[in-house]
Amino acid sequence: MTHPGEIILECRDLSVGYARPILEHVDLTIRRGEIIALLGGSGCGKSTLLRTIIGLLPPLAGEVVVFGRSMYAGLPDERNRLLRRTGTAFQQDALFGSMTLEDNIALPLRELTKLPAAVIREMVRMRLALVGLPGMEHRTPATISGGQRKRAALARASILDPELVFCDEPSAGLDPVVAAGIDETLLKFRATLGVTLAVVTHELASIRTIADRAVLFAHGGIRAAGTIDELARNPDPDVFGFFHRVADKLAATGAAGSIAS
Amino acid sequence: MPPQATTVQRDGRSAVVHLRGDLVVPAMGGLYAKLRTVAKRRDVRTLVLDFSGAGRIDSSGIAVVALIGRQLAHHGKKLDLSHMQDQHRAALALSPESTGEPGEPVVTPGFHERFGERVLGLGVGVRVFGRLIAETVRQLAAVVTRRSRIPAGAVRHHIEVMGADAIFIVALLSFLTGMTMAFQGVVQLQRFGAGVFVADMIGMSMVRELVPLMTAVILTGRTGAAIAAELGTMQVRSEIDALSTMGISPVRFLVVPRIVAITVIGPALTLIGIFIGILGGMLVAAGTLGMPPVTFWARVVDEVTLLDFVHGLGKSLVFAWIIGFAGSHLGLRASGDAGSVGTATTRTVVISVFCIILVDAIFATITTLVRHG
Repeated sequence: MTHPGEIILECRDLSVGYARPILEHVDLTIRRGEIIALLGGSGCGKSTLLRTIIGLLPPLAGEVVVFGRSMYAGLPDERNRLLRRTGTAFQQDALFGSMTLEDNIALPLRELTKLPAAVIREMVRMRLALVGLPGMEHRTPATISGGQRKRAALARASILDPELVFCDEPSAGLDPVVAAGIDETLLKFRATLGVTLAVVTHELASIRTIADRAVLFAHGGIRAAGTIDELARNPDPDVFGFFHRVADKLAATGAAGSIAS
Repeated sequence: MPPQATTVQRDGRSAVVHLRGDLVVPAMGGLYAKLRTVAKRRDVRTLVLDFSGAGRIDSSGIAVVALIGRQLAHHGKKLDLSHMQDQHRAALALSPESTGEPGEPVVTPGFHERFGERVLGLGVGVRVFGRLIAETVRQLAAVVTRRSRIPAGAVRHHIEVMGADAIFIVALLSFLTGMTMAFQGVVQLQRFGAGVFVADMIGMSMVRELVPLMTAVILTGRTGAAIAAELGTMQVRSEIDALSTMGISPVRFLVVPRIVAITVIGPALTLIGIFIGILGGMLVAAGTLGMPPVTFWARVVDEVTLLDFVHGLGKSLVFAWIIGFAGSHLGLRASGDAGSVGTATTRTVVISVFCIILVDAIFATITTLVRHG
């Protein structure tokens, strides 16, 4: 995005974790209209951070501010109102196994709006077409492929036209072609629905395609943040290693040194 | 060449082991024992492994060499590797010396730690359970006052699955219990020439005690376990999280319909069971004592008061809530893996049956005290 919009999500000195903190002192802002990638190796705490941001895990310290309001300060009803302006696509698609795709995607509409059933059905059909699953409304999650389930999860996460959508590893475990299709869908989302996207991932190809900006987590905190080009040139061994697939830190330092010089 | 051909040759204070054949899994047990024996000898200061006759080496071979090397070093002895080929050198580079220290072993907590954790966990569990009940009541109130809705058709669906499908088994077991009680009662009562009182006994025991208790046990096994398994699986598959992030209360969406359904079907199944149980007793009385069913029924109606019905059905309502809340609570607290769903289901059954019998005893004590006290 060339013109950054207003800040719609802010983490202020946030510490997240279960008994012990996994990430500490996280300061993070997301602006309207951008696609931000939250990066880091497996187990670095990015999914835990996401759980805290979407209201599932109270922070150990600090604050999550969404649309200018604190996620955890108010009553649960207040949190629910904030959450309805966001959508989340989970890593394990989290579709309701006992329902058809139509029922899954229509669920937020049926539960939270008073729209007539016919309108809801039409909205679901449109959204399924947008994510590339036209005509599959009567299939159940068990009868479609992993990639299709991820798409269906995206459709459900976006059905209320949220302003901010979180995706946890949208292309994990998918082959490169299907993963590219998911990336395309995410870009289409921004173009057609104008949503802001926060994508947790560690797929380099996907980051380069979709993200405007990225934040890299390592060693219990934010290691680096910036545009993709900035991060790719960052000489920090953790960042360099991540972007250039170098496992050995010493080699990374050496290589980064030669680039920097 | 078989690895048994490995030979040991003494040379002053050192021992040379000429390795032969492939250093792979089938041979390594024997080789390790042989090397240990040599390494343990006091007069051996240096152990030389001669790889000139050795073939392929796999992970077990690498481990044996590394292990023997460490044991020798521990006793201030030396391990020399000679005539290694490139493949051996590359493989041995994998040995633990080059991959760092072994990780800290996981310390299993002792009895006191485990006991303390259980007690603390129990406290947390009770608090969470209390919050679940409070939240259910709050959401139910919102639904009743039409400030929010429960999913269309959910209550009906649960009543069908929990209730209608259980009628047959409840009826069958009540019928058999009624018959068994009547057989036992007739034998005992006839000794005193009081066989006719079997009707009073059946009526009273079915209405106040046996059917409410038995229905509750069946509900626990069928419905309580199902609730825990369903909610537990949804929790493990992040479906509950998905609901929360949509701004939909999982308690309203999942727990309230189940509690409403079980509130209806607990007493309803009990009522059905009571009549079928009395029918079973009636048939036995007719068969053994020749007592006309009309007489039997008249005695039952005479003996059993409305208060007894309130007692039995009221108890079944409390049992239903125990089952519904225990299943919901333990299901929602499942986490992580498939094993936790199994644990939630098992604990639901055990805790429900325990609480049901406990509450039943409390009911019996209170009513007896009220009546005679």
